[in-house]
Amino acid sequence: MLTIGALANVKHILQKELFSVSDERLLSVVTVTKTFKKKDKRACYLCVVTTTPITVPVVSLCLVKQSEQRENEYKRKRSWALDEIKWVDGRNDQLETHEFDIQLEKLYKWYALHPHERQNFLAVLNRQIQKNVRGQRAEFRNIPSAWLSEKSPEKIAAGRTGDAALKAQQTDGEESEEEAQEFTALTDREATELGKLFSECDFAIKDAEQFIEQLSKELHDLDGANIQSVLASEQKVLKMMEHIDNAINEADKFETRLDSYEDILGHVKETMEKIGGKNAMIEIANNNNIKLMKELEKVITQLDLPHKQQQALEDPDFKTEAGIKAAIAAAQCLQQAMNSDIDSALLRLEAVQDQRKRFEKWKQKFSIFISRYMNNMFIHIGNEIGDLPLTSNELVLPNHSNVHQSLAPYTELMHWTKAMDNKTYAGLMRVYTASLCKIYDRDLRNFFNLAKMQVSDKLRSSREDLDASTTSRKAAVSTVPYGTLGVNRDQWGPGVDSADRVRFDALLEKVLAELEPIALQEQLFCINFFQMDVISPTTKNTQTTLEVMEKSVDMSQSFTAASPSTDGPFPQKRIDRQINEDVRNLMMGLFDCLEPELVIFIKSFERVDSFYSLYVLVRLTQHVMSAQDTHSFLSMTFASTLVQVKRNFDSFMKQQMQSIKESKLPKRSKAGILPYVENFENFAQTAEGIFRKSDRRTDMERWYLQLVNAIFETISEQSHEHPKTPHQVVRMENYHHMYSLLAQLKVRGLDGLKKEAKVRYNDALKAYVTHYFGRPLEKLNLFFEGVQQKVAQGVKETEISYQMAYSKQELRKVISQYPAREVKKGLENLYKKVEKHLCEEENLLQVVWHAMQEEFIAQYNYLEERIQKCYAGAMINLEFNIQDILTFFSDIARSH
Amino acid sequence: MREYKIVVLGSGGVGKSALTVQFVQCIFVEKYDPTIEDSYRKQVEVDGQQCMLEILDTAGTEQFTAMRDLYMKNGQGFVLVYSITAQSTFNDLQDLREQILRVKDTDDVPMVLVGNKCDLEEERVVGKELGKSLANQFNCAFMETSAKAKVNVNDIFYDLVRQINKKSPEKKQKKPKKSLCVLL
Repeated sequence: MLTIGALANVKHILQKELFSVSDERLLSVVTVTKTFKKKDKRACYLCVVTTTPITVPVVSLCLVKQSEQRENEYKRKRSWALDEIKWVDGRNDQLETHEFDIQLEKLYKWYALHPHERQNFLAVLNRQIQKNVRGQRAEFRNIPSAWLSEKSPEKIAAGRTGDAALKAQQTDGEESEEEAQEFTALTDREATELGKLFSECDFAIKDAEQFIEQLSKELHDLDGANIQSVLASEQKVLKMMEHIDNAINEADKFETRLDSYEDILGHVKETMEKIGGKNAMIEIANNNNIKLMKELEKVITQLDLPHKQQQALEDPDFKTEAGIKAAIAAAQCLQQAMNSDIDSALLRLEAVQDQRKRFEKWKQKFSIFISRYMNNMFIHIGNEIGDLPLTSNELVLPNHSNVHQSLAPYTELMHWTKAMDNKTYAGLMRVYTASLCKIYDRDLRNFFNLAKMQVSDKLRSSREDLDASTTSRKAAVSTVPYGTLGVNRDQWGPGVDSADRVRFDALLEKVLAELEPIALQEQLFCINFFQMDVISPTTKNTQTTLEVMEKSVDMSQSFTAASPSTDGPFPQKRIDRQINEDVRNLMMGLFDCLEPELVIFIKSFERVDSFYSLYVLVRLTQHVMSAQDTHSFLSMTFASTLVQVKRNFDSFMKQQMQSIKESKLPKRSKAGILPYVENFENFAQTAEGIFRKSDRRTDMERWYLQLVNAIFETISEQSHEHPKTPHQVVRMENYHHMYSLLAQLKVRGLDGLKKEAKVRYNDALKAYVTHYFGRPLEKLNLFFEGVQQKVAQGVKETEISYQMAYSKQELRKVISQYPAREVKKGLENLYKKVEKHLCEEENLLQVVWHAMQEEFIAQYNYLEERIQKCYAGAMINLEFNIQDILTFFSDIARSH
Repeated sequence: MREYKIVVLGSGGVGKSALTVQFVQCIFVEKYDPTIEDSYRKQVEVDGQQCMLEILDTAGTEQFTAMRDLYMKNGQGFVLVYSITAQSTFNDLQDLREQILRVKDTDDVPMVLVGNKCDLEEERVVGKELGKSLANQFNCAFMETSAKAKVNVNDIFYDLVRQINKKSPEKKQKKPKKSLCVLL
């Protein structure tokens, strides 16, 4: 049996003899015999061989035999690629098994001489197959799985997944290194170590035994030295222990001493702490005392009212300027004291409450003084001015700035009253309103009476003029208002001319201009005097912080009352509105009679001039729309009046519309220009004079449209009603009148209606000419109508003259019925008729006559053309030519 | 024929007159002239019934606020108009509504909230949602309109007529009592 060394020997020999030559490397070898050739005792070797270029290793299975002749000669019998192996059968799982089969191109059964060689060989073979064979791999049967799984599971996994290529490479690297170790016996380091060792004892190579001996001797020496040093150190250790014990003892002593010191210090500390606590207490007490002092001082100074001021409150002198000043100063001090900033807890002090009660008494007393004094003053002012006789008859509203001046010194007292005694304040305000209202009432009534008188004065004078100029007219006053569109001028009641209107307008302007500064002045004074631009933050009668709040409810109430002023913009807007409303209410109280008086005054125009609403609308709008303080009493009063005026304006216009629709045709021989068409000129010119430059044009133009539309409608309706004048003439004349009127007015909004008037006029003219001119050469026309019929039936125009009824003789016969003299006579009759239809005012006779002339020429041309077409060369002509016609028409026109 | 008194309210320049004139005359008035007061009559058919609308177009400017109480007293239905291009005109409506309820002394007043000028989308400052939520709070109908582009104009008035009908159905006109001949 061969030993392991023998096998290594064999492997070495095989590598050297056989594979090195062909640059191959032997990976594993097993000494085998073929089981079925028992006789052949020569050793065979199954080898796993790889080519050395590692990059593309080709691994193969190789069968080598020992040469029969010479012991040391080996021959490669066969070799197979690994993928030629179909399967490998280990026969059974036992370790000590010798047999194994390999299926190649045929089945080989082997008997391994050494089971460990077999194991090594099979493992290597398996590993190489796993590594190198792609596709179908040889199957290993009946072989302990441990041999195969040694490293192989990882490799299988790596091979399968492929994505762990790096890992696979790593293991591959390890593998090849491991394989290399089997042959390269030493690493570089080992080699150098060994080299060093060998160089130290260069005899080793020559005599291994001697070398080993030397090595073991050296080892022995080293051991001895080691034990000796261990024994020597023991004494030193003992000494060291002693030292440590000493040190511990010393440390203990030290510690006890420290403890005693600490005890002593502990006592001292306690004492110190007690002293410190006492000191802090003393300081706190001291601080508290100081604070208390300060607080008390504050309370006392705040609540202290100097004696001088007490006197000023108890016996105020409102008559002198100095007295008023002192009273105001004292009152303000009192207010300040009563609103001093004192902690609510301190308010419970009896002294504070006592002081408060004292304050209350002063306040009440002083308030009564003010109330009585101001009350008297207001009433006195009211009476004094009320008794003054009215100085002039001029239209001026008296100015009361002297009243305001005399009250100005007391302004701050009023502010004080508002804050400190709201009830008295409200009462005084009522008295002021009542007193001043009397004055303004008287002033306003007087003012408006004067104004009304001026209106009626003017009316009377103008009426006298009017009466003087039209003495022939009946004195009976008509009920039809002046300027009514649908009624003839003669039946209008008395009216005014535009100069009067200008005067009225100026009067109205004067009245409005007088009212504005007076009202504004009073308003400014009231806002300032009664401090109306500030809303008091509390609903209580008296503003004071000294009252002890009984319940928390009071607190919250006062907070909610105060909160709006601190909130966002919306409540601010609310406050503004509240202020505006308060001011307005006061003004309304003062100028109680302004609105009714103003309305009555404006109404006074109505009686004089039905057109008053037009210019009052314009004038009042200027004042209302241009107002800066749009929420003020006066602006709103004017605005309300303006709405009334606008309504009157609208109803005046409505009446005008109605009068147009209800108007009756004049009873005269010619319809002529209808009254509303005639009156519209005056109406529109008046309206334009008032509205031309006004912002309210839109209002007027709205009505223009409606009025003109109504006029058009009524013209068309009434045109059929006149017994003599034909409806075409009524329409023609009136539309023509409207057209020229609208063209004159140049109101852009009426451009559409202007065009329509023109169209309607032209239509009417055409209809009139067609109807009344007719066909003066009727029989000729009929003759040629017959001719046309024949032509329509298919007779050629040139052959018409051969028809019996339409021969040249027949034509001549018809023509001879219209000699020039007869035609002229007919035209003259027509002219007379037209003259009878048309009215003189509109002067359309020439226009109509010309249109008729055109019509006649057109008819004449038509007949001539027919004759030339149908009777060419027959030398037939009418008995007159165009020149004759023109002469007839101009002669007739001239002779009338 | 039943008459419906409708009042158009809102701040100055929101387009009250433009809406009214568009509805009554089918014209868009481009020019701004502050209204003093204009009244219009128009006959329309709503749900198969002939109605005579009497529309009062009011002044929006502040001077005329004193007239509002009277308008509210006489009106049966109210159009509250704001402009989607001006926040303040929207804010003003809250007070207007409160005033109407105070004057009418009831919570149920026929009313339409109208956000006008919806053709000026690029100038919008009042969102549609804001309008809707105010209408919710008012418990009334809401629409955004354009008098210029003729959007939803007629619907305002039709809706109001229906509201008035719903709130106070027309009382059957009492037949005049027939005078009976009595034999004595």
